[in-house]
Amino acid sequence: MLTFAQWVQLTGVATAIRELWLPYPIILSLHLSFIALAAGMILVTNLRLLGIAMRKWPVADVIDQLRWPKRIVFLLIITCGLLLASSKAEEYYYNVFFWTKMSLLGLIAVHGLAFRGSVYQKAAEFDRAGRIPGKAKLAAALSLVLWIGVAIAGRGIGYIEPPLDKLHAELHPVSIEQGR
Amino acid sequence: MFLAETNPLNDSALIFPALECFHIVGFAICVGTIGLVDLRLLGVGLNRQKTAELAQDVAPWTLVGLALILLSGPLMFSSDPDMYYLNPSFQIKMVCFALALIYNYTIRRRVALRGGTGAGAKVVGAVSLLLWISVIFGGIFIAFTGQM
Repeated sequence: MLTFAQWVQLTGVATAIRELWLPYPIILSLHLSFIALAAGMILVTNLRLLGIAMRKWPVADVIDQLRWPKRIVFLLIITCGLLLASSKAEEYYYNVFFWTKMSLLGLIAVHGLAFRGSVYQKAAEFDRAGRIPGKAKLAAALSLVLWIGVAIAGRGIGYIEPPLDKLHAELHPVSIEQGR
Repeated sequence: MFLAETNPLNDSALIFPALECFHIVGFAICVGTIGLVDLRLLGVGLNRQKTAELAQDVAPWTLVGLALILLSGPLMFSSDPDMYYLNPSFQIKMVCFALALIYNYTIRRRVALRGGTGAGAKVVGAVSLLLWISVIFGGIFIAFTGQM
């Protein structure tokens, strides 16, 4: 894993992002802009399932119409995220918040698989029945908690100082000098 | 006024990161809910809903996000006022934030509530998205222009 991180970091794109001043903050800003868009979609979906917001709309309407926009925005977020992580791959290998964030994203994937059949594809049934079952509300609440956790862990990444003594200084002296 | 040296906020290393978390969650809620309406104006996403009703439905949540931003932001600023005040990214961010906020509650609000469609509505939605994205860029760049 560490070897992989060191290798990724030395690829051309990762090196350029790390060593130039502008690409990193620009990609980070785009990462956050897309996250904001995704957050709106996630929030509305979950609040609708909880019966808190958009109560006039059928649950299925909200979930179905946002399915593809969400997928596209997720793809953009992940693309930016991979570029950011690859540029500092070795550092992130030692970053506890990075791994916390990845674990939470893993849990979100499990959450999606666990509730997909019983909640997210059953929205039309909830609308016909006129009530939202407890399981769907649980799924929505868990989703909100997990995503807020991802946001906090993501911010935490920047607070961990890179362990300079462990990094391969001879491989990339420039990033060590910059200290970031 | 607060000075960085006498500000009790700086007594604990945990307060600033905690404020940042509120700021980030707040901005995600605020910009996210505004973005839903902007995307609707652009013809993406919740198209089965009327723009006006979507705008009214998400408006309280936008305010929740704004409240989190406006509570945490000035406190973060107070932790090191000189650094922020002199930081060009921060200055740009504040100008963009003021513009985005005014635009949001005047032109964009009127167009969304009128349920506008067509090219005009698309432009209004796109301008709104661009304004908020420029606020985000300004915010991120604060940390990257500070060391110059």
